[in-house]
Amino acid sequence: MRLLTGLICGWFCFAQAGWADVSERRVDDLTQEVQRLTQLIERLQGTLQLQQQRIAELEVGRSQPMLPTPTASQVGALQRQAAGSLSAFNPEIGVLADIVGQLSESSADGEGNDKLSAREMELVFGHPIDPYSRLDVTVSFSDFEAANLEEAYITHWGLPGEIRGRVGRLKPKIGKAVAIHRDSLDTVDEPLVVQSYLGAEGLSRTGVELSGFLPVPWTAVTHELTGGVMEGGVGEGGTLFGAVRRRPSFYTHLKNFWDITDASNLELGATHLVGSKDADSSFEVNALGLDATLVHHVTPTNKLKWQNEAYLQHRDETVTFTTDESTGEVTSTSMSNTPWGWYSLLDYRLSPRFGIGGRFDYVEPVEVDPALLVRHADTAWSGHLTFYQSEFARWRLQLRHTNFAQGGDDNIVFLQGTVAIGVHKHQLQ
Amino acid sequence: MVSGEWRLNSQMTNNQYLTQQTKQGRAAMWRCLGLCLSLVTLLQGEALASERRLSVVATLSTFADLVRVIGGDYVAVASIASPKFNPHFIEPKPSDVLKTKRANLLVHAGLDLELWRGPLLDAAGNTALFPGGPGELDLSQGIELLEVPSRAATRAQGDIHLYGNPHYWTDPENATQMASAIAEKLTVLDPAHEADYRRNLHAFLERLDQKIPEWRSRLAPYQGRELVGDHRAWPYVMRFLGLRMEQHLEPKPGIPPTPKQLEFLQHYITAQHIPAIARAGYFPRGAAESLARRTGAKVVLLCQNVGELPACSDYIAMMDYNVTQLVEALR
Repeated sequence: MRLLTGLICGWFCFAQAGWADVSERRVDDLTQEVQRLTQLIERLQGTLQLQQQRIAELEVGRSQPMLPTPTASQVGALQRQAAGSLSAFNPEIGVLADIVGQLSESSADGEGNDKLSAREMELVFGHPIDPYSRLDVTVSFSDFEAANLEEAYITHWGLPGEIRGRVGRLKPKIGKAVAIHRDSLDTVDEPLVVQSYLGAEGLSRTGVELSGFLPVPWTAVTHELTGGVMEGGVGEGGTLFGAVRRRPSFYTHLKNFWDITDASNLELGATHLVGSKDADSSFEVNALGLDATLVHHVTPTNKLKWQNEAYLQHRDETVTFTTDESTGEVTSTSMSNTPWGWYSLLDYRLSPRFGIGGRFDYVEPVEVDPALLVRHADTAWSGHLTFYQSEFARWRLQLRHTNFAQGGDDNIVFLQGTVAIGVHKHQLQ
Repeated sequence: MVSGEWRLNSQMTNNQYLTQQTKQGRAAMWRCLGLCLSLVTLLQGEALASERRLSVVATLSTFADLVRVIGGDYVAVASIASPKFNPHFIEPKPSDVLKTKRANLLVHAGLDLELWRGPLLDAAGNTALFPGGPGELDLSQGIELLEVPSRAATRAQGDIHLYGNPHYWTDPENATQMASAIAEKLTVLDPAHEADYRRNLHAFLERLDQKIPEWRSRLAPYQGRELVGDHRAWPYVMRFLGLRMEQHLEPKPGIPPTPKQLEFLQHYITAQHIPAIARAGYFPRGAAESLARRTGAKVVLLCQNVGELPACSDYIAMMDYNVTQLVEALR
C-alpha cells in the first residue's frame, strides 16, 4: 500500500515538474513575443509621429527647405506618404520617341525613301478609373503625318468568369507582331506580312474585346482565348479588308503558352479574322494566322528568341490574268485567291549592351498588276544589330534586302533611336 | 492487350472473330473510360486540395520561401521572378498572369523594385491584389530604408529608386519584420489557422535569433572592410555584417559596366587594398572577372534570392552561404 502511495506521489511530482517546465517555456515564449511586439509598436509609433508632424507642417503651409534635414528612413517615410497625396490620382505619363533614318537604293522620290524623321512620338497616359476599370491612351505624333489616336481603351476587370474586357481604340490581341507597339519590336520595321495585310504600323481599330484563360485542370500549359469585334478596315496600306468602317470585322485568338523550364518557354497561337472587302454586308474575307515563338535564356543576360508568324487568306474574289500576245509572254495564270505570307525572326541578346538578329519575310500580294507580276511574292532578308544604351534608350542598325513580286529589288539601311521618359508601361503579351 | 493476339485464328469463323473483337474492343473501351475517369478524378482531387489552401503569389523567391515557412501546408505558394534572373527586368509570362489572377494574396517588395508588377496586375485583373486591396502585402512597410534620395531624382542618375534601396530582404533583421507581416496577413485571410501561422512564425524567429549572432560573429574580425559590388543590391547585408561597399561595377544604377568605370575601379581596388568583388549570379561575370584578373581581388558569388544557387535553398541557408563566402573572401 505504501509502495503504491509512494509511486502515485512520485508520478504526481514528476508530472508537476513537467508541467512546470512547460509553463516556464510558455512564459519565456510569451515574454519574447511581447518584446517583439513592443519593438514593433515603438517602430510604428515613430512612423506615426513622423506622419503627424508632416501633416501638421502641411497644414501650416511650411515649405520643405525649412525642415531640419531628415534621416534617410524619415525621407523614405515622407516620400511614401507623399505618394498618398492627391497627385497620386494623376495619370501615369510617358513619352516615347522613335527617330528613324532610312537610306534606300530606290531612285523613286516616293514618301519614305531617304529620310531622317521623328517617325513616332508617343504620348502615353494611363490610370485606374475605379476598382473595376482602367483607361489607357496613346497619342502619336510624327514629323510627316498628322497626329493619330493610336489607342484609347478602357480595360474592365470585373466581368464574370474571370473575363477581361477592353473597349475603345486598341491593338487587338492577335498574333505576335500586330499586338505590340513599334518600340517593342525586335526590328525597325514591321514584318512585311503585317505591313502588307494589316497595315504599315500594324492594326489599330475601335472595337470590343473579351479575353480569358480556359479553365483546364493542368498548369503546365496556359490557354488564353481572345475574341473581339472591331470596325471595318485595316491599318495604313493594309489589304486584308476593305476600307469601309461600318462593316465590322471579327477576330479570335487562342494562345497556348508552355513553360518548358525556368529558362525556356514556347508559345503557339492561332488567329482567325473575318471581314468584308467592300461595302456590302457579306463577310467574304477570312484569314487564318498561326504563330510560334520559342524563348530560351542561355544565361540570365543572353536570351534567344525565335518567332514565326504566318497569315493565310481565303478571299471570295478572283483575279484574272491575261496573256500578252505581242511578246508571247505567258501571264495568263490566275492569281490564287488564297494569298499568304509569313516571317521568321531570330533575335539574340549577346550581352546587356548588344543584341543581333535577322528576319526572313515572304508575302504574296493581294492585289497585283498581272502585267508586272514577276514573282509570286515579295521576299526580304534583313539583319539587325541593337545597342542597349540603358533600360530607357536603344539604338538599332538594320539592313534589309527586298525582292519585289512586281520585279526589282531594293536595299535599305535603317538607323533607329528609341528612348522613353516618364512612366511607360506596356501591356503584357 | 498484345497486338499479336488480334491475329485471325485459322480455326475461327469470321463471326467468332468479330464477336471476340467486339468483346475485346468493349473491354478496351471500358479500360480507357476507367482510366479517363480516374485521371479526371485525380486532377479534380488535386485541384480541390490546392483550392482548400490559400493561394499565394510572391514576386520574389525569397518572399515565397518566407510564406512557405510561415504558411506551411495551409498555403500554396508560387513566385514570379526566377531567382536566376535580375528581379528588376522580369517579363511576366501568361502562366504568371494566370497564377496572379487566381491568387488570394500577392506578396511583393513594394517601392519600385518590380516595375513589371503593375502590368502584371493589369493583365491579371484580380482587383483584390491591387494596391490597398485585401490580398496585397507590401513587405517594405515598416522597413527602415537605405539610400533614400535626398533630392529630386532624375534618370540622369541612372535607374535610380525613388523611395530608397529596395533590396532590403538581404538583411536578416528585416526578415524578422517581413516574416511577422506575412504571418499577420495570413492570419487575416485565413483565421482558422492562426495558431499554426503563429507557431511557424515563432519557430522561424527563434532560428533567426540563434543565427543572427552567429553570422555577425563570423564577420566580426573583418569589421569595416570594404568590397566592390556589382549593383547596389547589397547595402542592407553589408550594414548588417559591418562591412562597406562604396563602389560598384555599374557606374550608375542599372547602367552596365563601362571601360572607364572598370579602369577607375582597377585603381580604386589597388589603392584601397580591396580584397573582393561581390556579384549576384545573374550579373554578367565578364566585368568582375576581368577586374579580378587585373587587380588580384577575388570574385565572391553571393545569393540575392533563395534558390539562386543550390546552396541557397532557403532563407537561413542563403544567409549561411553568403556569410561563408564573405568570410572566405576576406580571410
